[in-house]
Amino acid sequence: MAAERHANVTWNGDLMAGSGTIDEVGSGVFGPLDVSWPARSEEGSGGKTSPEELIAAAHASCFSMALAGGLAKAGNAPERLQTSATVTFVPGTGITRIALAVRGSVPGLDADAFRGAAEDAKKNCPVSQALAGVPEITLDAQLA
Amino acid sequence: MAWAGSLSRGSGVAQAGTGAFELPIDLPSRLGEVGGKTSPEELLAAAHAGCYSTSLAGEVARAGGTVERLDVRCTVTLDEVGDKGHLIVSSELDVRGNADGIDADGFERAVRAADEGCSFSTLIRASATVSVRATLES
Repeated sequence: MAAERHANVTWNGDLMAGSGTIDEVGSGVFGPLDVSWPARSEEGSGGKTSPEELIAAAHASCFSMALAGGLAKAGNAPERLQTSATVTFVPGTGITRIALAVRGSVPGLDADAFRGAAEDAKKNCPVSQALAGVPEITLDAQLA
Repeated sequence: MAWAGSLSRGSGVAQAGTGAFELPIDLPSRLGEVGGKTSPEELLAAAHAGCYSTSLAGEVARAGGTVERLDVRCTVTLDEVGDKGHLIVSSELDVRGNADGIDADGFERAVRAADEGCSFSTLIRASATVSVRATLES
């Protein structure tokens, strides 16, 4: 069954001086969240989010779910996975790199098996597949 | 992102580096009823709507127009595709614009250029369908 998820954004004014708001999402869990070009492209976001930060959250959560699923299927359900995704955005070029890092607490699993499961999750999670055009996606997977 | 437990029964929390959000996530929210939790696809919908609206604001200005307000709704669809499992199959953008100094044709050109210029549209188009419907309201 297809699952549809939506978000609404309002933008006011031009690109450099204007700003937008993610007004609401279907789940109602977040919004309004402010977004702006400086938050996206400059150091120090001033407490505003950006498309790249949302992509980082999407990728980290998709990867974590895929890894939890893969580990459980192999009989090693994780106690806890702590994942970070860092998206690098170059204005004028786009997203050039995503760095995934995961620390896992998985009873009965050795480091190599954990790394293998993490590589599978990185390759196969739906967000990874949707973002396959990113020039570089790295993974650092270690047991906690 | 911190995840605890298995895929089907566990749940997680996504935290933003900027501190702008801290969101609960789980699998049922992704595939079935949302139940007050977000999902990777909802986050991508927010990312795409945000990316596209900044791109369109830039293109309207480049065409000599002045943006009063852009309303962008993005719907991302996750579906099971044959033996490939779950894939993100489409991202649909619905745009309503209020801008001065630009006519409907000019706005339509800006809408297309914004799609080409939005880095996320370009990325996701490699594996999914991206569509844009746009109306200039004034």
